[in-house]
Amino acid sequence: MANAVQDIQIRHLSRRFTRADGQTVTALDDLSVTIKAGEFVCLVGPSGCGKTTLLQMLAGLLRQSSGEIEAQGKPVLRPGPERGVVFQKDSVFPWMRVIDNVEYGLKCRGVSKGERRERALHYLERVGLMQVAQAWPKELSGGMLKRVAIATVFANGAEILMLDEPFGALDYVTRHQLHDVLLDLWLDGEGGRRRTVIFVTHDVDEALILADRILVFHSGRMVEDLAVTLPKPRSADDLVLPELVNHRHRLLQHMGLIRPAAAKPGQ
Amino acid sequence: MSLTTMPVRDGGARRVTRALRFDPMAWLGILLLLLVWELAACLLPPAILPAPLGVVRRLCSEFLSAPDLSYFGLANASLLGSMTYTAENVLLAMIVGAAFAIPLGLVTARQELIRAVIDPVMMTVGTVPILILAPFLLIWFGVGRASAVLLVTFYVIVVVYVAAQRAAENIAPVFEDYAATLGASPRAVLRDILIPATIPEILGGLRIALAGAWGLEAVSELLGAQQGIGKIIEVLAGATDAQGIMAALLLLGLVATVCDGCAAWAIHRLTRWKSSTPVAGA
Ligand SMILES: Nc1ncnc2c1ncn2[C@@H]1O[C@H](COP(=O)(O)OP(=O)(O)O)[C@@H](O)[C@H]1O
Ligand SMILES: [Mg+2]
Repeated sequence: MANAVQDIQIRHLSRRFTRADGQTVTALDDLSVTIKAGEFVCLVGPSGCGKTTLLQMLAGLLRQSSGEIEAQGKPVLRPGPERGVVFQKDSVFPWMRVIDNVEYGLKCRGVSKGERRERALHYLERVGLMQVAQAWPKELSGGMLKRVAIATVFANGAEILMLDEPFGALDYVTRHQLHDVLLDLWLDGEGGRRRTVIFVTHDVDEALILADRILVFHSGRMVEDLAVTLPKPRSADDLVLPELVNHRHRLLQHMGLIRPAAAKPGQ
Repeated sequence: MSLTTMPVRDGGARRVTRALRFDPMAWLGILLLLLVWELAACLLPPAILPAPLGVVRRLCSEFLSAPDLSYFGLANASLLGSMTYTAENVLLAMIVGAAFAIPLGLVTARQELIRAVIDPVMMTVGTVPILILAPFLLIWFGVGRASAVLLVTFYVIVVVYVAAQRAAENIAPVFEDYAATLGASPRAVLRDILIPATIPEILGGLRIALAGAWGLEAVSELLGAQQGIGKIIEVLAGATDAQGIMAALLLLGLVATVCDGCAAWAIHRLTRWKSSTPVAGA
């Protein structure tokens, strides 16, 4: 697992935007960090702190203003199937049936009909959507659409998966169900190798349940790099364990939700 | 995999089949119209307002051959022959117009520079009543097929250009990004994203263009042509044959309605994926 070539290396990465009124915004400011292969990393921070901007640059959909990104030993210049993205907005193609959506990336890369159908059905089963394989996306709920998107990126075999607040708009129960689905898929990676997951969220508890490592952002800067050692899978119950309680306290502090004067719980 | 397990049934399909089927109230409306027409025809002389049954009988008797009309030296004396000529022109104009307008609309939606050149031209043609062009086209191209087809083609181009352009603008950028991250080449993005995503609005534009094309074609034949339903109406108007005019109009109306129904059905089949009923639940 400690194969440095497989890591994602981010060096002095910045991105500035010029708004319509001529003001310059620094969405991401001089970020340097290495994300190890197979790591499950959560990016946490309040809205507007640059999470989506970072993800888009990692995906190759947005050029950086300065700095470098290297993934699997190569600089990131354009989007590619080795880096899969689950977008914040629903991106499942409405004009393709569910099964064709899941197969689409494989089809683009010339995988044979039988093989891609088999892979797609496997991942649809893993996310619990076998019975709607032939349905149109308009017939699915928001949570089901996210399952389709997850099945698609996993079926497509990307080594690096990026998810941008994928469950932000879902209800509590659906969200926790999808955490299980995602962790389950991540834990038994194909060929015994786990994929690298970069998961953006503004929900502190979600990050604590999912992450090996939490990177905290504030106004375009990384302000904290926390390792979470508690074994996975974790559930909402585990949030009361001391390690997670302590991390939670720090995260909330960074978000300005706990005043420094307040006592630290459990000590 | 069966569709019976789908969580929500297709509400859109039901609505379209309902729209295609005549409901009793529509029949009642048509019946009422015929009744008023019949009554009025009893009161007025037949040269002013012919009775509906007579019109239908005339349509049937002159459908395949119309000796009356051959007096006027028409090449295609029957109603069927004239209608075919008109329909051919409409079809030709639709094909040429669509082939020109769809790519142009899609390209200008993405290429600001080309759009800056094309848009003002289209807007000018779009705001001037298109029939104004008829005399010029007659001067340039004569009374043959070309004048009428060109006039209708201009109209189709304006309508479909706007529809195609708007369709391309309305695609959420996330679809193209998503396709690229799945490994789609630019050509695959065009084939699998841009075209299917714009089809519903483009087909809608084509349907509107088709509905307008019949009238425009007939009027342009009226203004100067040697064949077609419009020409027949012009000739019969000269002979103050109200019944004949009504029969020709009835045929034109029937054909246009049937074509519109077919277009609606085809659009429905091709855009089954499109959301027509909001989905509730998680
Ligand atoms: N295309 C853009 N044009 C101008 N400003 C932008 C653009 N995209 C993002 N920004 C700005 O960059 C900052 C970070 O945005 P974003 O990465 O979307 O934040 P987050 O995903 O953390 O909510 C915000 O201040 C936002 O207004
Ligand atoms: Mg965001």
